[in-house]
Amino acid sequence: MAVSFPGFPTRGTALVGGMDNFAIQTSRLTRRFGEVAAVNNLDLEVPAGSVCGFLGPNGAGKTTTIRMLLGLIRPDAGEISIFGHDIRHARALALASTGSLVETPAHYPNLTGTENLDITRHLLGLPKVAVSRALDLVDLAQAAHRKVSGYSLGMRQRLGLARALIDTPKLLILDEPTNGLDPAGIHDMRNLIREAPARFGATVLVSSHLLSEIEQIADRMALMHRGHLLFQGSTQSLHDAHPGGLAITVDRPSEASSLLQANGIAAALTDGQILIPGLHEAASIAAFNTRLVEAGFAVSGLRTVRPSLEDLFMKLTADDVTVPQGGAS
Amino acid sequence: MIGALRAEALKLRRSLVMLVLAVPPVMIAILSVLVRLSGNGPPDWTVYAMSTAAIWAYFLLPMTATGMTALLAQLEHSNGMWSHILAVRTPKWKIFTAKGVMAALLMAVASLGVWTAIFISGHLANALTPADALAGDPGYLAAALLLAKMYLASLLLVAIQLTIALRFSSFALPVSVGIGGTFVAVAATSSKYGVYFPWLLPINMLASEATRAELALWIGGLGGGVMLIALVLWLSGRDWR
Repeated sequence: MAVSFPGFPTRGTALVGGMDNFAIQTSRLTRRFGEVAAVNNLDLEVPAGSVCGFLGPNGAGKTTTIRMLLGLIRPDAGEISIFGHDIRHARALALASTGSLVETPAHYPNLTGTENLDITRHLLGLPKVAVSRALDLVDLAQAAHRKVSGYSLGMRQRLGLARALIDTPKLLILDEPTNGLDPAGIHDMRNLIREAPARFGATVLVSSHLLSEIEQIADRMALMHRGHLLFQGSTQSLHDAHPGGLAITVDRPSEASSLLQANGIAAALTDGQILIPGLHEAASIAAFNTRLVEAGFAVSGLRTVRPSLEDLFMKLTADDVTVPQGGAS
Repeated sequence: MIGALRAEALKLRRSLVMLVLAVPPVMIAILSVLVRLSGNGPPDWTVYAMSTAAIWAYFLLPMTATGMTALLAQLEHSNGMWSHILAVRTPKWKIFTAKGVMAALLMAVASLGVWTAIFISGHLANALTPADALAGDPGYLAAALLLAKMYLASLLLVAIQLTIALRFSSFALPVSVGIGGTFVAVAATSSKYGVYFPWLLPINMLASEATRAELALWIGGLGGGVMLIALVLWLSGRDWR
């Protein structure tokens, strides 16, 4: 699925070398498990500096994609570039500025929070101050010297995020980061993710099932279903592709709907209301109201409706359709 | 590589691995003192050191290798740590090499513990039963050399156990293989092909034929090294789901 962004190459363009405008770029990425293509010809593009929500129902291929991005599993076909570095041929460079939190936060329960981060610090060859800085970022400094076996799920999640942040990464790959967090924790995590581009200069790819969360923090979306990418682009462009319309509550909806259709207007009758897709402008809404009232209908409600991300998600995954993409920002 | 080794060492803190390593010396010390107190002890230090080392090589060494490698691998398996450890920029081969080196180091620590236990328990029993005190020179160096050879000969079985433990997330599988190997070794002792059986290689250091001991040392030491390299290459190249 080709996506065109002015100034950026599209599928078929050489991935490696000078492609640092994208934090992540995959080309025809494919991974099969037996006969099933968990990820099929995926062309994912995450511009540097963006917060990209990675959405899809269970089994869509999100985690398989994330595991390929991190070099945990190998693709059957296709290429992966992280900041212009091919993951297969330059893994260390590709992952040099990448922090990740994959699935449930994993820690050594016999060790303290500090000791858990010390393991990552030793592996990455970082100074000791990196540990305290990361713990401060996720507000876990007070529990730093307690064994992780005594941590709540939310604390473990925050420790996982601290580990992802320990090397001040330019790319954060987070898989369900708000799992297990209380409302205050979700609020803090949301702010941290949203501010990551400005605060750390980081790009974020965040997968979640909480669509409302993604809607609040992401400026881009990538929606997967059955291994395919259904949409990627700015959140605004997704809404633009599904504009909603005007919902009219009227005393005789069938007759009113027939009248509008007879006048060439694409009016649909749903749940006792008339829906006119794509109609948002105030002047047009007033004109519709006038015409219906003049025709003898009692109009009791006029409401513009915009589909929520959840509505769009359900519609796209139910239809398995590809929508026009774009919205490079 | 130093960083990966330091990370491996840190993971052991407050873990059961250290307890597993402490068991053989303690068991050997208690067993030796009890045997001596019962009046059925060996007459001199040489026989005492060899008989105690035999218990180590036959049963405790393979079981220690089994438990230690399984627990070492479970540190990552049981907590789902592979997804983190292998997703950092550190080359995978360094992480698996560090695991192999740590397993080899821990077996060396266990061997040193056994050596210490042999002489502490020997001297303790001598003090408790002065009439039956072990005759002759304690032979610290000879015992150390014997245990060092047993250690080198055990590297192949350590590498096999570690490979199984790292590859499969199940705790039961490597433990079953370890127990099975130890018991099959008892039956295979008299076989002329027993010298090639990894679980029997350490006990071959006590063989009366010098060539048998030498062959077992080569198979165990060199084979263990080759197996560890193969383990690192294989595990570094495979998928980790």
